[in-house]
Amino acid sequence: MSRSKNLAVRYLAAAVLFFGVMTLSGLMSAIYYINPDFLFGLLHFSVAKMLHIDTMIIWLLMGFMGAVYWFLPEEFGREPAGIWAAELLFWIFVAAVLVVAAIFVFVQWGPGTETTLWLVQQGRKYVEAPRWAAIGVALVMLVFAWNVVGTAVAARRVTGVMAVMSVNMVPLVLLYLIAFPKIDNMAVDLYWWWWLVHLWVEATWEILIGCIMALAMMKLLGTSRQIVEGWLYIEVAMVLGTGILGLGHHYFWIGTPDYWLGIGGFFSALEPLPLLGMVVHAVYDAGVHRMQTTNRPAFYWTLAEAFGNFLGGGMFGFMITLPQLNLFAHGTQWTVSHGHFAFWGAYACGVLSVCYIALQEQRGLARVNGSGWVWAFVLLNTGLIGMVGSLLVAGMAQAFFERAIGGSTLEAFIAGQENPWFMLGMYSRFGFGLMFGAGYVVLAFNLLGLGRREAAVAMKPLPAE
Amino acid sequence: MGPDVFLLTSLSLGFMVLSAGAYALLYGAARLKESRGLLLLARLAYATLALDAAGLVLATPLALAWKLLIAASALAYLGIPPVTWRFLEHTHRHEGAHT
Amino acid sequence: MQYDDPKFWRAGAISTTVVMAIVLVMLTIDSLGAINPGGSHVPPYEVINRHIDYAHNRKLGRDMPIVGADEPLFGKPVTTAEATGLIERGKLVIQSRACIDCHTFMGNGAYYAPDLTKAWLDPAWNTWMAITGAESKEEAMARFLMTPDQYSTWQRRMPNLNISRDEAVATVAYLKWLSAIDTNGFPIHFGRMKVGE
Repeated sequence: MSRSKNLAVRYLAAAVLFFGVMTLSGLMSAIYYINPDFLFGLLHFSVAKMLHIDTMIIWLLMGFMGAVYWFLPEEFGREPAGIWAAELLFWIFVAAVLVVAAIFVFVQWGPGTETTLWLVQQGRKYVEAPRWAAIGVALVMLVFAWNVVGTAVAARRVTGVMAVMSVNMVPLVLLYLIAFPKIDNMAVDLYWWWWLVHLWVEATWEILIGCIMALAMMKLLGTSRQIVEGWLYIEVAMVLGTGILGLGHHYFWIGTPDYWLGIGGFFSALEPLPLLGMVVHAVYDAGVHRMQTTNRPAFYWTLAEAFGNFLGGGMFGFMITLPQLNLFAHGTQWTVSHGHFAFWGAYACGVLSVCYIALQEQRGLARVNGSGWVWAFVLLNTGLIGMVGSLLVAGMAQAFFERAIGGSTLEAFIAGQENPWFMLGMYSRFGFGLMFGAGYVVLAFNLLGLGRREAAVAMKPLPAE
Repeated sequence: MGPDVFLLTSLSLGFMVLSAGAYALLYGAARLKESRGLLLLARLAYATLALDAAGLVLATPLALAWKLLIAASALAYLGIPPVTWRFLEHTHRHEGAHT
Repeated sequence: MQYDDPKFWRAGAISTTVVMAIVLVMLTIDSLGAINPGGSHVPPYEVINRHIDYAHNRKLGRDMPIVGADEPLFGKPVTTAEATGLIERGKLVIQSRACIDCHTFMGNGAYYAPDLTKAWLDPAWNTWMAITGAESKEEAMARFLMTPDQYSTWQRRMPNLNISRDEAVATVAYLKWLSAIDTNGFPIHFGRMKVGE
């Protein structure tokens, strides 16, 4: 197997590992809502939450990188440029993430100085990692961009998918620079911070997962490149056509001019439309192939991707995106509900699909099936939908009692949090979170053992004559 | 906007998109299986979307511009599955057989 | 037919992206003017010398911050440079303690602890002045920030984050300035309950 593919498997393995850390820290975060004295004085909610959301970004990024390193040699017919640098940086990246996690847990915070921002944490959501680590991440991404773009240059040819991916690398890497500055003015801070977060997860990441899914479709279903590339361009047009100004749905309440209410609301309301097209496409592909493929888990996870993206991002987003409604729902558990569903559907499912695609080839399996992946699929998706539904109930209660009725004071906040529907949502979320956690364990075992049992059976010596 | 109206409006918007998803799924299934029964169900799913959109337009305090957007979206949701399906069939028509 | 040709859709993707990006850049230039201190929506830092309020504006149909008469923080008026220094320090505190991972600012952050956008205006501080034995709201806030574990809020407690006196004063200044930002009416009817339609 090529060096790039070996690196890909390492990245996918690391992604699954950090997926586990994300799940564990998510469960911890859920416990505080039920038992506020949990680890008080030792490890507070903010630390568990930081671990949870930061490992989410990390595991998905590593998953994307694993997917790209997997497909790169096939797309270019050669080893990627600078693969040695990528191999070295993988270990540094993983080590840095572990060190940062340890700092979050054991150091937690520092005095209000620049030194704290450089060494301990920067305290901006999703990008809390201290500056030294942020430099490392930026370096990893620069090398990643070099591996993609440099290979296209060296090969003197580029496929449509790789061209889209190469161009996408530029904003992907440049936007990360927003993780560095300390901006005093919260309105300006949030203005630029949303460029990073939204233009990552609702623009450049959508393009990246679109490219990855295009490559996956060619592999899983044998779809022609011409069709897949046409679709990719349509998706880019529609996702960026709605998503670039859809950024405005984060600019309703942060001190920006009120024209963002109209612009953000309008373009954001259009965002589900391309996602519906992807659902139709998924149904077509599933039906035309009569659900037959040599890699059933990979195929089912791509279907989950199409539906999850539409429901989590499209449906749940549409509920709260109009500004006159967002006024009530903004910054409540309703947001959490949407966020969990959207990230899961849009990205996690796609990464898991690629894990199975890569493992099929790496372990030389003619077919990938069995009951293990089914259990993981059912537990993870049911757990996730259960969590999302629970958070929706809690979020609706919070928006209703704290915001719409209560006037958003401390007293109103407490009343909302103590509301029986809210608490029901918190207990229910934890229960479904445990189901999700169980699904993760099954997934991890399934991925670790994929094909090995058949190989072991095949290698058993024949009984003596 | 009062608390009850806000909740109902939000849920209706979500239901509209959910109906669109159901319509797309049933429409695709109907075309794959060439089933009039499934096509009828697809149309029923769209009908719930249309009713929901009508409710949003007629019975909520949203401003006119937003109501127009909702109405236009409802029309777009009607067209997306058949147009997409036609496009998919056309682009796959000359493709080689899948393995 | 040209729809078969990916190049047709590629042209569409490129042109759409370029147009949207240009519009975003233009709106950003305009918005940055509005959100810099002294812009249309964000007050200058020395607003911390004044009384801040938040009330419904009938003409605009939403709540708006109101900057009133002189009301210096801790009884001590500050110059523009001193106010800027306090805001800079306050933001360092907020980031170094990752406040945004329990609280929200203008609804952004974590949802375990209350939103801090209008914390300066919260009616609960009247009670907290008594609890902390402080003679002013800002003194109550500062005392709470320095030793939150000594004051039982509710079942969810704020941990002690080793916030010094200077840091607490800067954070209070930050929260006062924050409350004066025009957030287009968020949070809706702050401090006023709305029962029924």
